[in-house]
Amino acid sequence: MWRIALKGILGRKARLVLTSLAVILGTAFLSGTAVFSATLNQTFDNLFSDVFRNVDSYVRSTQVIEADFGQQERQRIPVELVDVVKQVPGVADVQADVQAFARIIGKDGKPLGTEGNGPPTFGSVGQKFKGALWSISEGRFAAGPTEVVLDEASAKTGKFVINDKVKVVAQSGSREFTLVGIASYGDVRSPGGATFALFDLATAQEFLAKPGFIDDILVSGDGSLSDTELAMAINQAIPDTYKTETLTGAEITKETQDQIGTALSFFGILLSVFSYIALGVGSFVIYNVFSISAAQRQRENALLRAIGASKKQVTRAMLIESVVVGLFGSTVGLIAGIGLSKALSALLKAASIDLPSGGLVVPRSAIINTIVIGLIVTVASAWLPARRAGKVPPLAAMRETAIEFVALSRRRTIFGLVLIALGAASIVAVTNGASKTLLGVGILFFFSGTITLGPVIARPVALLLGKPAEKFRGVTGTMARQNSARNPKRTSRTAAPVLIGVALVTAVAALAASISSQIDGVFTQQFKGDYAINTTARGFGGLSPSLADDINVMPQVQRATGIGRLTVKIDDKGQFLTTINPATVEGVFDIGLISGSYADLTAETIFVSQKYANNHATKLGDTIQVTLADAQIKTLKIAGIYTYDEIAGKYTVSRDLIKDSSVISFDLGVFIKLKPGVSDKSARSELQAAVDKYGQGTLLSKREYIDSQSGSINTLLGLIYGLLFLSVIIAVVGIIITLLLSVFERQREIGLLRAVGMTKGQVRTTVRWESVITSLIGAVVGILLGVGLGWVIVYALRDQGLSSFSVPIGSTVSILIMAFIIGVLAAVYPAWRATRVNLLAAITTA
Amino acid sequence: MNNPSVTFPPPIANSDSAAARATNVSKIYGHDDSEVRALDNVSVEFEKGKFTAIMGPSGSGKSTLMHCMAGLDEMTNGSVTIDGIDVASLKDKDLTKLRRDKIGFVFQAFNLVPTLTADENIRLPLLLGNNKGNEEWIQKVINTVHLQDRLSHRPSELSGGQQQRVAVARALASEPAIIFADEPTGNLDSTTGNEILSFMRKAVDELGQTIVMVTHDPVSASYADRIVFLKDGKIAGELLEPTPELVLDYMKQLGH
Repeated sequence: MWRIALKGILGRKARLVLTSLAVILGTAFLSGTAVFSATLNQTFDNLFSDVFRNVDSYVRSTQVIEADFGQQERQRIPVELVDVVKQVPGVADVQADVQAFARIIGKDGKPLGTEGNGPPTFGSVGQKFKGALWSISEGRFAAGPTEVVLDEASAKTGKFVINDKVKVVAQSGSREFTLVGIASYGDVRSPGGATFALFDLATAQEFLAKPGFIDDILVSGDGSLSDTELAMAINQAIPDTYKTETLTGAEITKETQDQIGTALSFFGILLSVFSYIALGVGSFVIYNVFSISAAQRQRENALLRAIGASKKQVTRAMLIESVVVGLFGSTVGLIAGIGLSKALSALLKAASIDLPSGGLVVPRSAIINTIVIGLIVTVASAWLPARRAGKVPPLAAMRETAIEFVALSRRRTIFGLVLIALGAASIVAVTNGASKTLLGVGILFFFSGTITLGPVIARPVALLLGKPAEKFRGVTGTMARQNSARNPKRTSRTAAPVLIGVALVTAVAALAASISSQIDGVFTQQFKGDYAINTTARGFGGLSPSLADDINVMPQVQRATGIGRLTVKIDDKGQFLTTINPATVEGVFDIGLISGSYADLTAETIFVSQKYANNHATKLGDTIQVTLADAQIKTLKIAGIYTYDEIAGKYTVSRDLIKDSSVISFDLGVFIKLKPGVSDKSARSELQAAVDKYGQGTLLSKREYIDSQSGSINTLLGLIYGLLFLSVIIAVVGIIITLLLSVFERQREIGLLRAVGMTKGQVRTTVRWESVITSLIGAVVGILLGVGLGWVIVYALRDQGLSSFSVPIGSTVSILIMAFIIGVLAAVYPAWRATRVNLLAAITTA
Repeated sequence: MNNPSVTFPPPIANSDSAAARATNVSKIYGHDDSEVRALDNVSVEFEKGKFTAIMGPSGSGKSTLMHCMAGLDEMTNGSVTIDGIDVASLKDKDLTKLRRDKIGFVFQAFNLVPTLTADENIRLPLLLGNNKGNEEWIQKVINTVHLQDRLSHRPSELSGGQQQRVAVARALASEPAIIFADEPTGNLDSTTGNEILSFMRKAVDELGQTIVMVTHDPVSASYADRIVFLKDGKIAGELLEPTPELVLDYMKQLGH
């Protein structure tokens, strides 16, 4: 049987290629994402092993606040520790280090680097030091409060030369410096695409953070002690009251690499989830191709059976073929995936997520995974068709044409309906209070039920969707409509990948639409001003608090207020506090205060949300203990309760709370209300000038601001769409393969049509519309499922504050148009092949 | 592609009594030593309003002659006119339209499009040309082949004889200049085959159509007005007003 199987494969190379195509694509995405993740990891690992190459010890505070989403805020240490460390025997040199948000403003007034999603923008200390992270490549290190050094990459992109004036924005505001030097970071011009502005220690403390405080101390030993001994010696020299720890260079390197690794692993998981979705979609295509090819070889298999091959042998021959296809496909897929990982970098770049480039890493696990998974998926997908091939009666050899068995069993209908009913039941159960894990089960039931019912609904749906084709395209439309309905199993298997892709896209779009409309509603309710200044910096840095103060005193402005965020510890847990300026917030930004007044909000008091007050049974006058990032403990009295907690969250404090600490905070938005009678136009240009002075933040009208907030979800959406695009490509290839096989199967019919007067154009039209109808079946059913899925997800997120569900009408329409275009594109090659049918051969072979 | 008005070169002579004419047609396969002459300098005319049969042993070139005349196959030399139009000069698109508008076809098997109803199959050439056709004529054709109550059926729901009747009706529906039938009864039992042949006879006698039929069966051939015999790619003779006995005698003479 091996020989027959192998001969069968080699005898039809075209079929081998077609069948392998689905395997190749599926595995290419798998290996592509694995290679991409590994390469990315390696790049960052290399980067950070360079950074601390000459650092022998590293001193920092042990006090850390861990907030949600893996954010941490480590307490700063007093600068006097530098002298303590310097005195430790074995220490050759030390450098105090400050690392904080700082943005270099380009000569065009725009900040360097991509805002928001790009690599971070730092301000730090640059000085001569044995273990220095920075080395001067031109000029000298900064000395004094008016000098700055830039990293090489930033100097190049900003076209700065020595003695240029450079504007830098940091927490304390914006300031102009003189460029005195250009520095490189180890061997690279800039670490991982981040931008750096380097100052002398005093300036860095005062401009970037708070005077008297630094982030950490880098130590270089004199070689008399091992790194471990040196770290221990330093640790002993620093009094316990400072709460510091000393790490060796190797330890800090490993810790940094691990942190990046964790951050990247989330990304890697995201990628692999989508590549497995793509592979799952691909398995449908593989299954479809094997089914069709089994049907088309029915006579051949029947002949084998007639001359004495057993059922098992026929099945085995097909399975052997699937093994060959699986191995061939996944090997090609592996190689294609390596190329694809480069394309992925480009995709991310397009989504404005810049990543450092490095050498390609192809881990052995990726190779083994790809081949093994590709092989398993292929053979598993071929299993049913192979068994069916074995069951062909020997008599079928005498039959005229190979017709796939199309009768639909009642069992299938019942089974599908039962699955859907179970799905519906679990979702209803959840709405009545059952555990939310049931939602996932329900969705799974719904999907499998729909796929099971596919062949049953394919025919009526195809006939329905084909109606317009028939109406507008006459008899070619009629034939396209009938062709898409003539083999419901095949049609549903071809449409299934489209369905899955579309359902996921629709669900994501529905979720995004719901979030957007909710954000829109919340901001419309709470933002009472006319203009806002927005920043896309999230989590790291933001707008300098002095910006709001400057605008507040402008003659056109009635009030301008800044809203910021602070990370603190409450009950030993990291929490966010919203910081406001009680003097200016009223009438501009409404948090729905129901008791207390803004005047009551001081450095000693706090406002809490009504929800918090209810949950914790607290009332006005109770106290909350808050630990700031510099370990100061504040006991705050509750002085007010508010209802609008969507933006403000559980706690709101005055920005005066941190006035006397080393903690710094940024504003995430500045909200502006104009004086009555001030014309929008003149006010806008004045405001713009004020914003330009800071070179940071974007001035937006109320509407623009709300739109930008509700549209902020779109970046994420774009990334998810990009990843789902992989599945769409496989779905398109699935349509192409099926159409090609169908065209091959219908050669005689096409020949007859050509003989009685069908033009090549009409042949193409017929194939094209069949393709469009098939694609639309997947899209329409997929949209219905996707909207349902979206609703379920929104429902599941109800407790996270998502209260309203919106159907994404715009996206739905785009998906339908896309499905149409996909249908047209997928048909191009098969339609061309159809016109190449040998007319004479088609009508004369009996 | 939906242009119903096709402009063909003007007919050479409107008063031409031939619906189709082959002049010195040769069809040669292969080159030099391995050369096979499927048709060797064949000249023949098919008169309007007549039923002509082409007979000959297998390999005599009878199907090839039909394919060349119907624009389904390219000839090596010579010329063919259909209703005065020079077939060799037409490009694929116009050739397709010629087959659609001027020629009717009945094949031995696989004549119908399985996804279309009998009615749609009958009107197929008209529908492809976006042409309504002559409804009165179509009804007449349908009545002639007794398909009135089978029109909404699909081919898989029709018997072999009914399928061939649909094929005959399709060939007639567009009132073509000529109908080519290639062993139209080859797959049918004799009773059903005779029924089909009677219909074709009726189409010529009552509806004034022109039919050329390729067959190897003397009984089938005897339905024709005239038989053209082919042997080794050449015209071997003719017989007018044939009967099965005459045909058999003639074939014996030809050494068949």
